[in-house]
Amino acid sequence: MTSIGQTFGNSFDPFKEASKEDGRQTGVQEGLIHIRIQQRNGRKTLTTVQGISTDYDLKKIVKACKKEFACNGTVVEHPEYGEVIQLQGDQRNNIRDFLKSIGIAREEQLKVHGF
Amino acid sequence: MSEEDSLTFDLSMKKKKKKKKTPFDVDAALNENEVAAEATPPEPEIPDSEETHATELTPQTNDDDLSLDFGGMKKKKKKKKPFDMDEMAETLPEKSESSEPVPTVETIDAGPSEDMDEDLGFSLPAKKKKKKKKVDFEELVAEEEDDMDDDDLLDGRRDERVSGNAVVDGRSWSGSDRDYTYDELLSRVFDIMREKNPDMVAGEKKKFVMRPPQVLKVGTRKSSFANFSEICRLLHRQPKHVLAFLLAELGTSGSVDGNNQLIIRGKYNQKQIENVLRRYIKEYVTCHTCRSPDTLLQKDTRLFFLQCETCGSRCSVASIKSGFQAVTGKRAAIRAKTA
Repeated sequence: MTSIGQTFGNSFDPFKEASKEDGRQTGVQEGLIHIRIQQRNGRKTLTTVQGISTDYDLKKIVKACKKEFACNGTVVEHPEYGEVIQLQGDQRNNIRDFLKSIGIAREEQLKVHGF
Repeated sequence: MSEEDSLTFDLSMKKKKKKKKTPFDVDAALNENEVAAEATPPEPEIPDSEETHATELTPQTNDDDLSLDFGGMKKKKKKKKPFDMDEMAETLPEKSESSEPVPTVETIDAGPSEDMDEDLGFSLPAKKKKKKKKVDFEELVAEEEDDMDDDDLLDGRRDERVSGNAVVDGRSWSGSDRDYTYDELLSRVFDIMREKNPDMVAGEKKKFVMRPPQVLKVGTRKSSFANFSEICRLLHRQPKHVLAFLLAELGTSGSVDGNNQLIIRGKYNQKQIENVLRRYIKEYVTCHTCRSPDTLLQKDTRLFFLQCETCGSRCSVASIKSGFQAVTGKRAAIRAKTA
């Protein structure tokens, strides 16, 4: 059985040009980066970062994040959302500031979900 | 002590500068009598502009006339040197009466004084001074006018404005060559705005008032959103839609129980729920064009559209997505289920 990705190719993005329209986009990041929080058991939480451009090496980003935030983290592959970063704990503000300061995304490209 | 001395000295120097160029001229004359001969040539060139300025600037203070007189004869100046202090004492009050120009003139004078030393063309610096003074006066007048505008901005200004463009052009800067300042333009645009829509003056705009959500703890790991259905009614939104958004944003599960309160898994306080609700209102309740909360949410071919009742705009809104969900449960159980 063939997946959609194999049949049509993952690289084609029909909305690529639409999101690029404003022209002043400097970085390679396009579209929103969603930063979410997820409940685990007890008072534990998990932060997921979805939508970082594939031009970046997420493993290196995770490595830097782990060191910076003093938490563990991993990169998981998802058939629909691509590579997603998972970090332990509520790192939403940390990761937002990190992505901004490092220049991966601008303020308006980051969408922080959760309370 | 020495500092004080120097200070006083500086002050006197400044005063002199303010008053008239005599001190400079004198010093310059003393030091550079020789140069004076050389410096005379520039004067002949001056007359054209000088005359024009003279015509423009006729209503000037006595000080300038005095200074011009000094400019005429160096020797006179020398002679007058001893009297300078007295004259200054006399002239000071005049200056203070003219009040506002003084500080600006003082600062500006530093430049011309140097020129004087170089040129020794007394009339030329005098002119410069006058020119600058004039500008200062204009600005001051304009500022005063602006102040006046602020005071009675609703009365005379408005009427003048309405009467025609001529008055708009007749703003403080229109009569002169100088550039308008940012503040002037700003006050002007706000005047026009207030004039065109008087409603705005009364209150910024109708604020969208929401009742705060009542969030209580239920047991240790659940929260109850007590007035959930009431808030949905206030927002004119289906509880189902609000629920979906809340749960997707919070990344938890929950349900509406028997007495219409929402039970959410996880510990949340009122502030947190309020934040999420605010985001919901921003995205799905207020019109994206006019910000009016008077909107309808319609589902059209699997897409949600926000129809504004006030301005009639209609735009699609993002669908509620919970996005990526990491595996947090027991992996073995999931594997057992799928396999």
